[in-house]
Amino acid sequence: MKRPYEKPVINKLRSGLMNKFGWSPAYARKVRTAIDGVSVDELCGQFGSPLFVYSERTARRTYRQMFNAFSTRYPNVEFGWSYKTNYLQAICALMHQEGSIAEVVSAMEYDKARLLGIPGEKIIFNGPHKPMAALEKAVVEGAVVNVDNLDEIVDLETVAKKLNRTVHVGMRLNLDAGIYPQWSRFGFNLESGQALDAAKRIARGGRLKLNGLHCHIGTFIMDPQAYAREITKMVKFGYELREAFGFEMESYDIGGGFPSKSRLKGVYLPPEVAIPGIDEFAEAITHAFSEALKPGDFPKLIIESGRAVIDEAGYLITSIVAAKRLADGTRAYVADGGVNLLFTAFWYKFNVELDREVGGINETSVIYGPLCMNIDAIDEGIQLPPLKRGTRLIFSPVGAYNNTQWLQFIEYRPNVVLVTESGEVEIIREAEDITDIQRRERLPKHLELKNGK
Amino acid sequence: MKPLLHAVFRSYAEVFFLQGGIVGFLLFGITMLNLRLGIAGFVAVLAAYAFARVIGMGKVFLESGFYTCNPLLVGLSVGHLFQLNALGLFFCVAAGVLTLLITVAMANFFTTFLKLPLLSLPFVVVSSLVYMASLRYGNLIAAPAHQPAWLADDLGLPLALAGFFKAFGSLLFTPSVIVGAGLAALILSRSRILFLLAALGYVVGATVRHWMLGSPVKAYTDPLNFNFLLIAMAVGGVFLIPSVRSYLLAAIAVALSPIVMDAIAGFWSYYGIPAFTLPFATVTLLALYTLGLVGSPLIAARIGLTPEETLDTHLANRLRYPGSERTLLPPFAGAWTVWQAFDGAWTHKGAWRYAYDFVLTDADGKTHAGTGAKLEDYYCFNKPVLSPVRGRIVAAVDDFPDSPINDPDKVNNWGNLLIIAEPRGWHVELSHFAAKSLRVKIGDWVERGAVLGLCGNSGYSPQPHIHVQAQLTETPGAATVPFSFVSYSEDGLAHANDLPKVGGKVEALYPNKRLDSVTNFVLDEEYRYAVKHKGRATDDLVLKVRMALDGTFYFDSGAGVLYFGRFEGTYYAYRCDGSDPRLRAIFLALPRMPLACRDGLTWRDFVPVGLVASGLRGALVGVASSVWHRFARVRVTSRFVGEHRVETTVESRVLGVKRTGAVTFDRNKAFATVTYGDWELTRRDDGK
Repeated sequence: MKRPYEKPVINKLRSGLMNKFGWSPAYARKVRTAIDGVSVDELCGQFGSPLFVYSERTARRTYRQMFNAFSTRYPNVEFGWSYKTNYLQAICALMHQEGSIAEVVSAMEYDKARLLGIPGEKIIFNGPHKPMAALEKAVVEGAVVNVDNLDEIVDLETVAKKLNRTVHVGMRLNLDAGIYPQWSRFGFNLESGQALDAAKRIARGGRLKLNGLHCHIGTFIMDPQAYAREITKMVKFGYELREAFGFEMESYDIGGGFPSKSRLKGVYLPPEVAIPGIDEFAEAITHAFSEALKPGDFPKLIIESGRAVIDEAGYLITSIVAAKRLADGTRAYVADGGVNLLFTAFWYKFNVELDREVGGINETSVIYGPLCMNIDAIDEGIQLPPLKRGTRLIFSPVGAYNNTQWLQFIEYRPNVVLVTESGEVEIIREAEDITDIQRRERLPKHLELKNGK
Repeated sequence: MKPLLHAVFRSYAEVFFLQGGIVGFLLFGITMLNLRLGIAGFVAVLAAYAFARVIGMGKVFLESGFYTCNPLLVGLSVGHLFQLNALGLFFCVAAGVLTLLITVAMANFFTTFLKLPLLSLPFVVVSSLVYMASLRYGNLIAAPAHQPAWLADDLGLPLALAGFFKAFGSLLFTPSVIVGAGLAALILSRSRILFLLAALGYVVGATVRHWMLGSPVKAYTDPLNFNFLLIAMAVGGVFLIPSVRSYLLAAIAVALSPIVMDAIAGFWSYYGIPAFTLPFATVTLLALYTLGLVGSPLIAARIGLTPEETLDTHLANRLRYPGSERTLLPPFAGAWTVWQAFDGAWTHKGAWRYAYDFVLTDADGKTHAGTGAKLEDYYCFNKPVLSPVRGRIVAAVDDFPDSPINDPDKVNNWGNLLIIAEPRGWHVELSHFAAKSLRVKIGDWVERGAVLGLCGNSGYSPQPHIHVQAQLTETPGAATVPFSFVSYSEDGLAHANDLPKVGGKVEALYPNKRLDSVTNFVLDEEYRYAVKHKGRATDDLVLKVRMALDGTFYFDSGAGVLYFGRFEGTYYAYRCDGSDPRLRAIFLALPRMPLACRDGLTWRDFVPVGLVASGLRGALVGVASSVWHRFARVRVTSRFVGEHRVETTVESRVLGVKRTGAVTFDRNKAFATVTYGDWELTRRDDGK
């Protein structure tokens, strides 16, 4: 076979041992020919490229591992599926089948959960923006509403007055758990006394009853002890509320933020080494919780994990549409999917696998996406052998946040499929076409073009 | 006046092992057929009752008729023998009071020391005394009562049948076919089992005597034959659970009784005293005492209004309450698998047979990830062990190392252990904690669910697991005693108090705070419900929360009571007395409920047949069930639908019953709505 001509370049070889950056040696590369037994070729042949692929088996296994880690350490645990992480119906339904309730942060997500058949009482309604109509609907349907601000307390009292009954609500706290930055824009601050003031206001109003506390200390938290500090503070505050106002805390919701086995940019060690296992988190949290609780008190421990549950179940298959060299000699590839589909590319360095064995020496390469914008680079320094057009790159883990934050910008969003536990492939979101883009648009009469004019 | 009459008439019913004022009134009417007899009995009961009030016996003691049925019999026996002039009446009064005194004294002795019913022994004692004393009282005019001729007519019945009815009549000192037939019909209407037993007793007893005496006339017409009826009824249906075995025992007891009867009659007649019910009392008490000594499961724990009810309650309760009173919460969080149960395959044998071992397993049933060569591979290793009881730590060891996999410590079998003294009088031992993992020390008080330490592999343990047992002393390795687990789900089905099976996935159910407070019914609280029956509004139902003498709470509707309670994380409807269909609806819509609410959580229960069956069908089921205990079962399946609603199906194939019910809970207290069959209750007050 005649190899295509390529302008010669000189590369420094870094072969043999693993270097301090944790990169692969010169000849090592990862190859994935199948996802859960279904070949990548077959998947793309049938559903096109790019293509999101979810593994039902991985999703369920990860969920169970995580749930068991907590439920075998504390007897009253509930998981709330964080809709914003991935609100594809199939994924939500799968989580609900596993026993999760819904955790939503907007009216849209609330509607999505209801549409899926989740009753109000199995929805936790968080977030800083809860429009009056949504708030009233949530209260009527018995959802757990976690209050974010004073104005919302007033709104809820209005609803309670209208319905002429006492309404049970939870309170969102922000506190210092030793994590920077502190997410102080959500909820009421604990240390400054703001939260106690809010509780006082709720008690004085007489229409609401606090029965739960909620907090979320951040995202991709790598220190289990941060959660231990969080829950200890929450429980202490819970008992203060009981003392002061007689509010009995039925649940403590510690939010989510658990890391997945993803690699943050700038973290040198591989995630298997850098990221504590879920058991370490569960141990730290339940230990601190049990220590803080009074004997015989077993309120519900709610965990709103998203990323740690679904991230690893998601893959994105893309295909190389062009290979080029940049002016500085760096090898570059253009793939048919970029940051438009992988929003998390801004902070993750994905695991990239090839769909076939490729010979040649690894060299530092850049992977660009299809956008006509400079920012559309998925990886700016990956060791890859020379790749031909049509080679497929499989990115993972991509299950979290990408299918909720993806852009429609200039491209159609592709098919999303699920490889079921029995090995069948089901489309869970169809690829878009022009009608999806146009459907909501209205063209005023006087702007209608005739014969292209 | 009304309660007084009720109490008096109940004494009449008690003679036939029946209860109730109306039955008593009918029996009173029967005694009045022979006026002298009737008056004497009535006077004796009144005298005894009045005296009891004078000495300050409480209303509750007297309401049952238990203390006044013997004075009635004595009164009847006096009336039977003596004329009722002033002296005769005085004699009645004196005998009645004396009987009461002897009843009270003997009842104390019998129930405390012998754990036996008193039966009609006081009657035998006092009547014998009266008859013996009267031999000296010249002023008393002895004139045996003669029944009117129309009562004495045998109606042309064959000898044996006439004798059967006369035996019935003799119980009220009226050996008449007509009266006996009336009594027999009364008993038949109340209890088919009692009637059949009476017939069985008569046939067996009279046949044996026929063989012995050689004279059918003597055998079938002996006035003492009523003893056979009483023995058969008492042994076969009243004090024992009606069953083939109890019927057999009744037949044996009756077959033996002629020896006692004829011996007593021969001896007593020397002094001119009839044997009365002494043969019955002797044989019955002997049978019951012996069965008690050998710990027979046939002895009824609770005697119902009729043998049918005793049986029904017994059968339902046996299914409803399979557990024990030594109750443990599963000592862990999450779903663990039973590795070894009572009488286990490996180590739970002999003196240590009452113990449970638990491990964690994955979807493939494996207890470990990886190869399973390391302790850390095991899912349960280092998982918290939670306290199954509340109590004080009396022994704590955690300095043994964790044994390597499959290399158990053969010297220190129990490894690292904890023993908790339960305030109810027994101990719980937990074993095989991880080295240095205990979080409690000797002297600490622990509540249920407290973290005790971590699961490990110390002691005789081939792989990490939790071992738990109950014992009576605080010595490690003491002999074990039976116990049961409360508030758990096994393979998704909730159990209130039971024993999970080997391989079952068990998870402790901790009470849900809201459900716990919603069902915390407080004394004197009142809940008002709008009632609809078949869609039409009827009178409101007002439930009042009350407490019975034994501390059990109940809802009082005015027309009936529903006993309920909360025990170890479960709400139970115990029993429904009276005839209020609305209370029955509440019972059947929610016979039981775990206080741990989880959507979809399902549980099974059984309810007494009497709550759903009535009429001829109910009557036949009662008799059939006594012969075959599994004949009719009313199964109940309930489940949580969301956080505030329970849906229930009540089903019996034999009875052809399938009904559904549902209960929704108010957010603050009690049931918001109850539906069952045609009934629909809706809370009127808004639960404030």
